[in-house]
Amino acid sequence: MTSQTIVLVEDNPDDEALTLRAFEKSNIRNKVVVLRDGAEALAYLFPDNGDGAPRPGLILLDLNLPKVGGLEVLRRMQTDERTRLIPVVVLTSSKLDEDILDSYRSGANAYVRKPVKFSDFAEAVRALGVFWLLLNEPAPSPAPESD
Amino acid sequence: MIELASLTDGMCVALMEAASDAMVCVAADGRVVQVNAQAERLFGYEREELIGQPVEILVPDTARAVHPGYRAGYIADPRHRPMGAGGPLAGRRRDASTFPAEISLSAIDTDEGILIAAAIRDVTAQLRARDLERSSQSLESFIYSVSHDLRAPLRALSGYSGALLEDYGEILGAEGRGYAERIAAASEQMGQLIDYLLQVSRISRAELRLQPVDLGEEAARIAEELQRREPGRHVCFTIAKHVQALADRRLIRTVLQNLLDNAWKFTSGRDDASIEFGTAPSGDAALCCYVRDNGAGFDPAYADKLFQPFQRLHAARDFPATGTGTGLASVRQIVERHGGQAWAESAVGAGATFYFTLDGKETA
Repeated sequence: MTSQTIVLVEDNPDDEALTLRAFEKSNIRNKVVVLRDGAEALAYLFPDNGDGAPRPGLILLDLNLPKVGGLEVLRRMQTDERTRLIPVVVLTSSKLDEDILDSYRSGANAYVRKPVKFSDFAEAVRALGVFWLLLNEPAPSPAPESD
Repeated sequence: MIELASLTDGMCVALMEAASDAMVCVAADGRVVQVNAQAERLFGYEREELIGQPVEILVPDTARAVHPGYRAGYIADPRHRPMGAGGPLAGRRRDASTFPAEISLSAIDTDEGILIAAAIRDVTAQLRARDLERSSQSLESFIYSVSHDLRAPLRALSGYSGALLEDYGEILGAEGRGYAERIAAASEQMGQLIDYLLQVSRISRAELRLQPVDLGEEAARIAEELQRREPGRHVCFTIAKHVQALADRRLIRTVLQNLLDNAWKFTSGRDDASIEFGTAPSGDAALCCYVRDNGAGFDPAYADKLFQPFQRLHAARDFPATGTGTGLASVRQIVERHGGQAWAESAVGAGATFYFTLDGKETA
C-alpha cells in the first residue's frame, strides 16, 4: 500500500475507533489523521502559512459535523486548486436523497452509507481503503505556479 | 330598523337561503337587517332575535370594541373582499362560545343606503384537519430523525460486540462468545426495525408521481432477477402481459418485488413451484392484481396480521431466514397510498394469493 495519508473527519468516537480498527485489521497501515469537526478539517487543509498544505490520498468525510458541516468542507475544497483534486468519500449515516445529491454536487467522489452491521462496516472501510489508495490512480500534483 | 323591499322580497330571501354559508346582512349603522337559516343555526339565534340588533352581538367579546371601527372602514371603501387582514377571525354564538370563521364581505347599494352582506363559514373542521396534517408531518420528520440518530449507537453495539468476538473470542469462552453473539444479533435486528421505520416515513412522505406503468413488464423483470439469483431453482412463472396501471413506478415496483420475493421464498420447498401474476375482476377499483403461489401458504386466521409490521419478527426464532416481516406492511402502505387495498387468501399447504387494487384509472 502507498504511503499516502488518510484523513478521517468524524465526530463520533465510536465510529472513529471502529474505522481505525477496520483499517488496521485490513493491513492498511497508512497514517490516519483524525479530525473531529468541519472547522478542524478546514484548519488542517488550509493552514495559515499557506504553503505547507497537506495533500492526503483520501478523505473520509462525515456530513453531520459540529461547527462546520461536511458539505461546507466539500465546497471549500472545491474552490481551492490545492484541495480540489483530493479524493473525498462521504461516509455518513444519512440515506437522504438530498444529502447524496448535495454531496456529489459539492464535489464528493463517492458516497457510502455507514453500515450498521459490524462485518459490513469493516468490509466497507477495507474496500474504500483498497480502492482509493491502491487501485485508484490519483490526479498528479498540480504543477507549481510559476511567477 | 331599515325596511327594505328588496330584501324582504321572497326571491331575495330564497337566494340567501340557498347559500351554503351563513349570511348576515347589516345596514350602515351596524344593525342586522336579514339572516338566513344557516346563520340561525351557526350562531344559535332565532331570526327575530337577530334582526334589528347590532351585529357586534355576533362578534367575540375580545374584538367587539374594535369592530365598529372596522365596519366604518369597510363602508368607506366597500369592495368585495375577505375579512381578516388583521388576523384570524371568529364568531360568537348565543351561548358566548366562539368558533373560527372565514368571512367575506360584499356591499349592496340600495335606496336606503349601503348594506353589507357577510358570508360566514365555520372553519373549525378545516383548521383541525390542517393541525392534524401538520402534526402528522412533524411526527414523520421526527420518526425520520430519531431512527436516523439511533443508527449511530447501534453501529457501536454491533461494532464492539463484533470486535470483542474477533479480538477476544478465545478468552471469552463459549458462553461469553454466545452473549456477544446475542448482542450482535439483537443490534442487527434493531437495525432492520430502524430501516423499516425509515422506510415507512419515506413512503408516507414521498410525493406520489403517478404515471402509466405496465405491471406485467415489471413483474417479469423481477421474476427474471429472482431466477438469476438462484439458478438452481425451477419455478414456473406465469405472468400476465400488458397490465396497465397508473401508479408511482418506484413504489409499485416495491409492491411487486415484495410479493414476488415472498412467493419465491415460500415455494422453496417445492419441486413443482409455480408463481402467477395476473388480474382479477376489480369491482369498484380501477385494477385488481394478484400474485399466487403454490407454496407453504398460511393459516387464514392470520390473513390480516400478515400485513402488520414486524409480525414476522416475532417469529424470527422459528424462521430466521424469512426476512424482517415488514415487506407486506410496506405493500399495504403503498397500495393504500394509491387509494387501493391489499389482502391475502390461503390455506396451510395450499399456497397463497395476495391481491391488491389500485384506484388510478387504467390507461390501456
